[in-house]
Amino acid sequence: MGKRVLVVDDDPDVRVFNTTVLEENGYSPEEAVNGEEALQAIRAAPPDLVMLDVLMPRQSGIRLYRTLKTDPALKAVKIILLSGIARASFLKSQQALTEFGGQPVPEPEFYLEKPVDAEVLAAAVKKAIG
Amino acid sequence: MIRKLLFVTKFEELGYDAVKSLLSLREVSLEHVVFMYVIERDKVAFRRGVGYQKSEELRLKESANIRFIDWAERLFEIGMEVGVYIQIGNMAAEVTKAVAREEADLVVIGRSQKSLLEQFYSGSTVTELVRRLSVPVLVYKPVPDNPFAFGKPFQRPLLATDWSPASRRAVDYLIAIKPLVEEVRVVNVVDEERINGDSVMQAQLARKDAKARLEEICSRLQAAGIPARSHVYVGRPAEGVEKAARECQSTMVVLGSSSKNRWVERWIGSVPREIAENSAFPTLLIAPERD
Repeated sequence: MGKRVLVVDDDPDVRVFNTTVLEENGYSPEEAVNGEEALQAIRAAPPDLVMLDVLMPRQSGIRLYRTLKTDPALKAVKIILLSGIARASFLKSQQALTEFGGQPVPEPEFYLEKPVDAEVLAAAVKKAIG
Repeated sequence: MIRKLLFVTKFEELGYDAVKSLLSLREVSLEHVVFMYVIERDKVAFRRGVGYQKSEELRLKESANIRFIDWAERLFEIGMEVGVYIQIGNMAAEVTKAVAREEADLVVIGRSQKSLLEQFYSGSTVTELVRRLSVPVLVYKPVPDNPFAFGKPFQRPLLATDWSPASRRAVDYLIAIKPLVEEVRVVNVVDEERINGDSVMQAQLARKDAKARLEEICSRLQAAGIPARSHVYVGRPAEGVEKAARECQSTMVVLGSSSKNRWVERWIGSVPREIAENSAFPTLLIAPERD
């Protein structure tokens, strides 16, 4: 069984695309449709990698990223952000949340702006978790 | 109090300027905006010779998504939380589901684009929403219609009361959003029928009665630290409320929504619906308490 990757995206088409790419490259994908559902799954059994969309119902990837990176038990989980939201906006949002009294969080190692080719996606996953 | 709002748009009637002017709600703890676009089924429905219009569905969804991404980026950058729903179906039903799923505290919607005939057969979306929801519904109006409302729509609300339970809830609501409110004008429009008596005494009695009840409401608001003044108007309720809002340079009209049933409302109409659909002012409709 390959390394476990949690794909978090509210768009079913994107989830199908991402999980197919992961399976074809020997990983074991799991799915969540929003930040809240993803957090429950991660707390229950932390995956090797989270592939995270930003703009979603219930809880965005911005909040989930912050939650994961400020939780000592979860901050080691690798994250690839995958979104239509520009990287610059993501970074500004994290700065704003830190200014409102939040804990500073590290910049994401992997931020891919949609749409992403299968090869680019597979390469990023390989770089993140081997 | 207003932690999360659901912003329902068809884009032509509500744009980012409306979102921006609602950001004053951050003073009363707004932290999450959920954008919603509903593609009415008939726009992509199965047609003879064409079939289901999948490419049209995709085009509408992606156009909406691109707009929402742009809006979301701006809100994310100031530390807001943002969500998006793009759904196909009946507007009122989809909005109701999203409100429940998101636990939204306020729904913002544009004026109905339906024709009078469509409204008669399928009902007004606003009316339908208010009937289904227990959270307030703000019918937002474009800025050119009302220069006073831009920027701070909650600053000088006109509370139009008909003494109904929903009107009383509207008073509670204004007290809860006190940090946004500079002054409230409270108005009751006395029906002309009531002063068509034979004597001046009867007209004066009607005015005195309304004024006394309005003063009670003002006292409640003042006790909560909100300056308030009362006004009695005479005439058709919707016209009186509009006139009062203009004369008081109000930024918004607040009123309890109708508790008439669907068919009664469709045949004879209702004052809240008339104001929500026709007034130049943003209109905040407060639903009666649900059992």
